[in-house]
Amino acid sequence: MKVLVAVKRVVDYNVKVRAKADGSDVDLNNVKMAINPFCEIAVEEAVRLKEAGTATEVIAVSIGDKACQEQIRTALALGADRGIQVETESNVEPLVVAKLLKGVVDKEQPQLVILGKQSIDGDNNQTGQMLGALANMPQGTFASEVVVDGDKLNVTREVDGGLQTVSLNLPAVVTTDLRLNEPRYASLPNIMKAKKKQLDVYSPADLGVEVTSHLTQVSVEPPAERQAGIKVEDVDQLVDKLKNEAKVIS
Amino acid sequence: MIEWTEQQQMIRGMMRDFIEKEIQPHIDDLEYNGMPPYDLMRKMFATFGIDQMATANFDRQIAREEAGDTPDKSNDDKTTEERPLTDAALDAVAMPMLLPMELSRVCPGLVTALGVSVGLTANAIMAKGSLAQKKRFARDLLTFEKVGAWAITEPNSGSDAFGSMKSTARRDGEGGYILNGNKTFITNGPFADTIVFICRLEDPEREQQDWKIVSFILDSGMPGLDQSAPFKKMGIGSSPTGELFLSDVKVGPDRLMGESEDGYGRSGAKSTFSAERSGVAAMALGLVERSLEMSLEYANTRVQFGQPIGNYQLVQLKLAKMEVARLNIENMIFRYIETRARGKDLTLAEASAMKLYSAQAAMEVTSEAVQIFGGAGYMRESRVEQLMRDSKILQIYAGTDEMQVVAMARDLMGRS
Ligand SMILES: Cc1cc2nc3c(=O)[nH]c(=O)nc-3n(C[C@H](O)[C@H](O)[C@H](O)COP(=O)(O)OP(=O)(O)OC[C@H]3O[C@@H](n4cnc5c(N)ncnc54)[C@H](O)[C@@H]3O)c2cc1C
Ligand SMILES: Cc1cc2nc3c(=O)[nH]c(=O)nc-3n(C[C@H](O)[C@H](O)[C@H](O)COP(=O)(O)OP(=O)(O)OC[C@H]3O[C@@H](n4cnc5c(N)ncnc54)[C@H](O)[C@@H]3O)c2cc1C
Repeated sequence: MKVLVAVKRVVDYNVKVRAKADGSDVDLNNVKMAINPFCEIAVEEAVRLKEAGTATEVIAVSIGDKACQEQIRTALALGADRGIQVETESNVEPLVVAKLLKGVVDKEQPQLVILGKQSIDGDNNQTGQMLGALANMPQGTFASEVVVDGDKLNVTREVDGGLQTVSLNLPAVVTTDLRLNEPRYASLPNIMKAKKKQLDVYSPADLGVEVTSHLTQVSVEPPAERQAGIKVEDVDQLVDKLKNEAKVIS
Repeated sequence: MIEWTEQQQMIRGMMRDFIEKEIQPHIDDLEYNGMPPYDLMRKMFATFGIDQMATANFDRQIAREEAGDTPDKSNDDKTTEERPLTDAALDAVAMPMLLPMELSRVCPGLVTALGVSVGLTANAIMAKGSLAQKKRFARDLLTFEKVGAWAITEPNSGSDAFGSMKSTARRDGEGGYILNGNKTFITNGPFADTIVFICRLEDPEREQQDWKIVSFILDSGMPGLDQSAPFKKMGIGSSPTGELFLSDVKVGPDRLMGESEDGYGRSGAKSTFSAERSGVAAMALGLVERSLEMSLEYANTRVQFGQPIGNYQLVQLKLAKMEVARLNIENMIFRYIETRARGKDLTLAEASAMKLYSAQAAMEVTSEAVQIFGGAGYMRESRVEQLMRDSKILQIYAGTDEMQVVAMARDLMGRS
C-alpha cells in the first residue's frame, strides 16, 4: 500500500507571533519555522504503517516555496521514503492546496492519503475534506485511531460527543487529531540518510493545475489585550457583574 | 564554513525539542537536588541513535586495528598532511559539537558529565590504550552505558598539574603496581564505573619531579579506592564532582594504560587537554545564543518608563555586544571545524585563544543577560542566573584563563 502524507511548513508552535507594523500579515522575519505538528503526526502514522508491513512506500509532499524542502527533509528523516515539492508561493489557500494534492494523487495513485486536520498557522481545517471531495475518496477526519482491515480502513474519530468509528473503502483520506500517536525524534543516522533520499520538484503546470486564488487577506491584527481581573466581594456582586457588565446572563 | 548546514540545523532542532520536553522538566532536580544525570543522557543517546553510531564506529576501528592498521594518531601529530576539504570531513568534526551546543542552552552541567566520560576518558583509552583495554573499557564508555572519570587534579596540583603531582605508582615486584594518592574536583568521581588515574612512577634512581608520568584504568569498587559524595558547587549542579582516595590499590599490568610504562605520559595528557578546548567553545556558543535570545525577548516586551526597555541605548549596547560575542565564538568554531576537516590542527595559541575568548565572552554575556532581566534575572525562575553561574566554570576547568594566556604567549614567542 502506497501512502501519501502532506506536510506543511509553519511557524514553530513555541514562537509568539507578531503582526507586521502595517497589519498586512504575520511578521515571519527571523522566526523559527517547523513542520506543522498535525502533519508530523501524519508522518508518524504512515511510518508506523510501513514498520507494521502494511504500507510499502511513504511519500511526503509539501506545497510551497523552496524553503518547504526543509520540512520534506524532516519527514524523510522521520522515515518517509521519498519527497515531492510542488513549487508555489509560500502562502496558498486550502482549495488550491487540495487541487494540487489531487494532482499528486492522480500521478502517484496512493491507497491512503494522511494529512493533519489543520495547520497551526491558518487553522483552516479544510484541505483534507476538500481533497476527499475532489478526488472522490471517502474521508475519516480528526482520527485518533487508524486500523487497516483488508481493503477497508477503520478510523476512530474524535467528535464532540465522544468517539465515532467509521469504516472506509480504500483509497481514502485521513486527517489526524492530536491523540493519534506521539511522533518520534529522528535519529542521527536517519537524518543523515534523509539527505540522499529522492526529492522531486513539480510546478502546478506539471500537475495540470491552475493556481487562482479566491481569497484576499485584508488585515492581520493581534488579539485584543485582556483587561486585568478583579476580585468580587460576594455572590451578589458576581451575579450583578455577570448580568450588567459581562452581559453573559440575563 | 560560514554557517551550519541544513542537516546540522535539523539535528540541532531535533535535539532542542528533545531537551525542552525531556530534560527541562527535570532541571531543578538535576541542578539542586542531586539527581544523577546519567539515565537522562542514556535516553537521549538511545533516542538519537548516538549509542548505535558509537558502537558502529568502535567496531570499525577495532576491526581496522585487528587487521594491523595503527590507530589514528591525529591527536598528537600536528604535521599531518593537508587533506582536501569535503562535506563528509566537515560533518565528522562538526557533528560532535552539536550536542554540547544544544545542551548548554539549558544545562551545561550535562555536557560536562558527558564530555568527561566520553570525550576525555573513553577517548584517552581509544588513543593510548592497548587493543585489549579498548575492548574491555572504552566500548561501554563510548555508548555511555558506563560512566567514566579522568583524574589528574590533586589538592596541591591544579594548574601545575604535573609539577606538584603527588600520586604514585610503585612496582610490586610481580609485574603489577601499587597505587596511592588523592584526586580532587573530579567530574563524575562520585559515580564513575571506570577511572583513568594519572600519577608518577616511583624511581629510586631519580628526584621525584623527574619520575615518569603513567596512568592506570581502574574500576569502581576496587579495594583501596574510595569515591566521595558530590561537592556542593556554585553552578553545573547536574555534573557530579568529587574526590578520589587511593590507598595501596593493587593493580596488574593489564590496567597500565597502553600496557607499557611509556603508554600515556605528559603528551597523552596534554592532547586530552587540547581536545577539551573546542568543547568549551561549543558550550560557550550555546550559552551565549540562549542568553541573547532570552534577552531580546525580554527587551522587546518589558516596559519601563512607558517603553520597551529595548528602546534604551544602554540596553541596546548590551544586546549588540552579545551579538558580537556570538559571531566571534561561532566564527572561531567554524575555523576550528574547517582546520580539523582539512586534517590540520589549530596552533596551541589559536586553540588557547578560542578557549580563553569563548569562556570570557560567555561569562560576560550571561552576566549582562541577568542585568537586562533586572530583579527578575536574579531569581531562579528566570533561568538566566543559572546560565551565569554555569558560565563561570568555563574560565576554570580545561585550563584556567590565566593558563590559556600563558600558553598563548609562550607559543607566540616560540618558547615551549
Ligand atoms: C567543576 C569542576 C570540574 C572539574 N573536573 C575535573 C576532572 O574531571 N578531572 C580533573 O583532573 N580535574 C578537574 N577539575 C580541576 C580543574 O582542572 C582545576 O580546578 C583547574 O585546572 C585549576 O586548578 P586549581 O583549582 O588547583 O587552581 P590553581 O591552579 O590553584 O589556580 C588558582 C588561581 O591561580 C592562577 N594561577 C595558577 N598558576 C598560575 C600561573 N603560573 N600564572 C598565573 N596565574 C596562575 C589560576 O589561573 C587561578 O586563577 C575540575 C574542576 C572543577 C571546578
Ligand atoms: C533580591 C532582591 C531584593 C529586593 N528587595 C526589594 C525591597 O525590599 N523593596 C522593594 O521595593 N524592591 C526590592 N527589590 C526590587 C529592586 O529594587 C528592583 O528589582 C530594581 O529596582 C530593578 O527593577 P526591575 O527588577 O523591575 O527591573 P527593570 O526596571 O525592569 O529593569 C530591567 C533592565 O532595564 C534597564 N532599564 C530600565 N529602564 C531603563 C532606562 N530608562 N534606560 C536604560 N536602562 C533601563 C534596567 O537597568 C535593567 O537592566 C528587590 C530586588 C531583588 C532582586
